[in-house]
Amino acid sequence: MIRIESEPWAQMVAHARETYPNECCGAMLGSTDGEQKAVRAAIRLRNVFEGAQATRYELRPEDLLAADKAARERSMDLIGIYHSHPDCDAYFSKTDLQNSCPWYSFVVLSIQKGEFHHANSWLPNFDQSEAVKEELIY
Amino acid sequence: MAKVLIPTPLRQFTGKQDSVTVPGGTVGEVLSALTAQYPDLRKQIFTDEGKVRSFVNVYLNDEDIRYLGKDATQTKDGDTLSLVPSIAGGSTVAAPPGPVGTQAALSKEEILRYSRHLIIPEVGIEGQQKLKAAKVLLVGTGGLGAPLGLYLAAAGVGKIGLVDFDTVDFTNLQRQVIHFTSDVGRRKIESASEKMKAINPFVEIVPHEVALSSENALDILKDYDIVVDGTDNFPTRYLVNDACVLLGKPNVYGSIFRFEGQATVFAYEGGPCYRCLYPEPPPPGLVPSCAEGGVLGILPGTIGLIQATETVKLILGIGQPLVGRLLLYDALGMKFRELKLRKNPECPVCGEHPTVTKLIDYHQFCGVPQATAAPPVQETKVNEGEIDVVELKQKIDRGDNFVLIDVREPHEYKICSIPGAKLIPLGEFPKHVGEFDPAADIVIHCRSGMRSAKACAVLRQNGFQHVRNVVGGILAWSDKVDPSVPKY
Repeated sequence: MIRIESEPWAQMVAHARETYPNECCGAMLGSTDGEQKAVRAAIRLRNVFEGAQATRYELRPEDLLAADKAARERSMDLIGIYHSHPDCDAYFSKTDLQNSCPWYSFVVLSIQKGEFHHANSWLPNFDQSEAVKEELIY
Repeated sequence: MAKVLIPTPLRQFTGKQDSVTVPGGTVGEVLSALTAQYPDLRKQIFTDEGKVRSFVNVYLNDEDIRYLGKDATQTKDGDTLSLVPSIAGGSTVAAPPGPVGTQAALSKEEILRYSRHLIIPEVGIEGQQKLKAAKVLLVGTGGLGAPLGLYLAAAGVGKIGLVDFDTVDFTNLQRQVIHFTSDVGRRKIESASEKMKAINPFVEIVPHEVALSSENALDILKDYDIVVDGTDNFPTRYLVNDACVLLGKPNVYGSIFRFEGQATVFAYEGGPCYRCLYPEPPPPGLVPSCAEGGVLGILPGTIGLIQATETVKLILGIGQPLVGRLLLYDALGMKFRELKLRKNPECPVCGEHPTVTKLIDYHQFCGVPQATAAPPVQETKVNEGEIDVVELKQKIDRGDNFVLIDVREPHEYKICSIPGAKLIPLGEFPKHVGEFDPAADIVIHCRSGMRSAKACAVLRQNGFQHVRNVVGGILAWSDKVDPSVPKY
């Protein structure tokens, strides 16, 4: 289960709406207690995908490293990655899966016609062949 | 010995520790020692075959080991290793970059043509299709652009854009081998396209007969995968760099001067850009262009082909790209050296907090006036403090009492000179100021009038009253006074 506090959640939704019609991406910081994850802060990261960003995003490892550092400095952990799907459901696409990592929760926000519609959190496996839905509370 | 930072989700395997210090003299040894100590980590980092998982990047301090020595990168006490996943995605299942679609299928004729590529395992059909699907923009079809255009066309790069608005002249022929003697006077872009098409009719050549500018650069560059910089001036170099960074396109860079050249790949996958190396342009006039300083004709061949090689490697995704390394070539010593280039986190365009987020006025930035076509000599205006070559000739013929100084270099003087001129190269000029009478009538010339203008300024600062610069230099003399004087 992953619970996103209201402040980071509002920031994530705002980020996704501002970036519409392109995809946004960012990091979620917080703490983990067994299967229970709590997101207490969100950090916007740059979508560095070369090409049409309406349907793709890419994170720079350096940016992720910086997010991880920021988390440590604030006594939090990097626990997840979020990105948006403009005018598209919050499913975990094949592209998402093939470029994922089993270490984190992946929250997908569906933005339809510029407004937040729904969201899901996903946990991909090692082989990047499958992702299971994780309970998401916001 | 190195400290390994453990990502949160993996701390369950390291007894909740967020960092672990393990022995090892190289990155590979450290990772082996780490997974030996915490066997449950092994599956997280390595595949069953023992390779680092595709989504794991290893950073030594702040640098990706792929750009250092990979597994063999040396570690020392106090170093920090980080494991960083590579993450991307998107709502649709888009084709991976480097598309190999049906349009890139090779015909029977192409298979025959590219057979020596196809039988290299690293290239093969798939690689040749990548070349065919690739779109490369060559900025400039001069010294560097000539070998680039010829070889990239021959190699089968599917779409090659050319940017140039110049025409071929006789001084180009010594090195710009894509242009022939019969092409003098023709538009370079037309001459270059013709040769490339003749070498390989299967490639598409897209002419952009414009001066690349802040207004049109993004629009032109956006349709290409890779940009190759074959320009010879600072404003365009900064323009190409910034546009590449803003668009996220690799910039394959080369530059040449006399017997030396440089090459590297900028703005590629988190690597440095031209501004990381040179945040500011040199003062105008400090670094001479080929037209001013000369260049060994063969040199752009060597450097241009290094650029062509890097371009093809990027397209194929093979080998170690020349990223984060500046290759220096010295033709006289016949030596290659390499300088390490680092991405500057404070770089104004590709740094963490960029201040240049759109294209700027690069002529102003570099402190040079907008390049305009050289006005025909006949229309040159003579301002105060200047003298026209025809008037100079009359002065000489009248036997006026005046001093004529030539501030070019001795090797230029040997090519041609104006009768009666005293040779004092500009560099030595200040030392000789005391030899002249401040009241004397002094006329100074060089090749085109630039250097002599500086010499005139030096004399005026020293209180000389009657100093005049020969407009258009000895080139104008050849045009208007004595056509037997060769131009160079």
